[in-house]
Amino acid sequence: MNGVIVVTGAARGIGRAIAEKVASTGPITVIGVDIAPELALSEDITPVQVDLTSPDGPSVVRETVQAAGVPLIGLVNNAGITRDARLVNMTDEDFAAVLEVNLGAAYRLSSELAPSMSDGGAIVNIASRAYLGNFGQFNYSMSKGAVVGLTRALALSLAPGIRVNAVAPGLISSEMSLAIPEEIRDKMVAAIPLHRMGTPEEVANTVWWLLTPLSSYITGEVIVVGGGRSLS
Amino acid sequence: MIHWAQGVGEDWAGVLAELTRAFELSRAAAQAEVSFVYVVRQDDLLGRRGAGNAMVAAGLLSAARTAALEGARKGWTANVVAYDEDDDPSSVQTWAQRLLEAGDVTGELVRVGPGHVGKTLA
Repeated sequence: MNGVIVVTGAARGIGRAIAEKVASTGPITVIGVDIAPELALSEDITPVQVDLTSPDGPSVVRETVQAAGVPLIGLVNNAGITRDARLVNMTDEDFAAVLEVNLGAAYRLSSELAPSMSDGGAIVNIASRAYLGNFGQFNYSMSKGAVVGLTRALALSLAPGIRVNAVAPGLISSEMSLAIPEEIRDKMVAAIPLHRMGTPEEVANTVWWLLTPLSSYITGEVIVVGGGRSLS
Repeated sequence: MIHWAQGVGEDWAGVLAELTRAFELSRAAAQAEVSFVYVVRQDDLLGRRGAGNAMVAAGLLSAARTAALEGARKGWTANVVAYDEDDDPSSVQTWAQRLLEAGDVTGELVRVGPGHVGKTLA
């Protein structure tokens, strides 16, 4: 593989692990979106700071891809936020913020970049196991379910040249999960058949596999990386 | 409350407006401790009618599952009915009404018609 792969939300957590995984695997230029220049970890990662919810955000990323001078072969829509509350108490602002970042940014960036993506390219959308339902996350769950819908629609519309899949992480050791009170987190871990949180690197490995020809006959699917939690 | 998802185009503003409308109706129902049902097209759950409609349908399904968890503590339910293009609307409405009245079924997707057979689980 040789070309450019764009990873959004690459400053930390799962996105950072994905960017590092991709950058470590060979002659691929990684464009990490949301990375401040001082956070760039490898010279193979080109940092771009841009608000993907702004009208011109996606075009800034496209221009950066074009400036790289090699084909666009992959896109990982990872940027995401949470604003949790029970439905009865959820504010208009918290609903809109989560939908704009988790869904709107992925949709607009995919629409901006897909026309210039090479045949054989791949898009991986980071959903969440919360798309199956999760207490106190009406907005987040809706946004991630919609990302699954987006994945299926793009898989159909961009076939046969480009494959589109989703990865749905469960409880992963990251800033987002470490913000959960320890007592609650311990109960969540106890309900996971593999008895631990996943690591960002384990998610990155699955994303990498979906980006490569190793998964060349898979499109429109959702792979849950959750330690078996969907069964327990 | 029975909410029929409206068709949207490929414009993000339209998608967000439709999801926001569902959120506002659902929040009002939850605050009143009233059960609700979303009605979507099976085609849209599979992504066959474009990204906009797919995002709305799949987003509503996930939202209903989360709402079901919250409503279970208060005695109200949240479910989804998916239908095929050729289905009789009155049959779809009947299933939605049944789910509203059932009380002990929640977080469920009921698919009217055979269009889902052999397709991916939503």
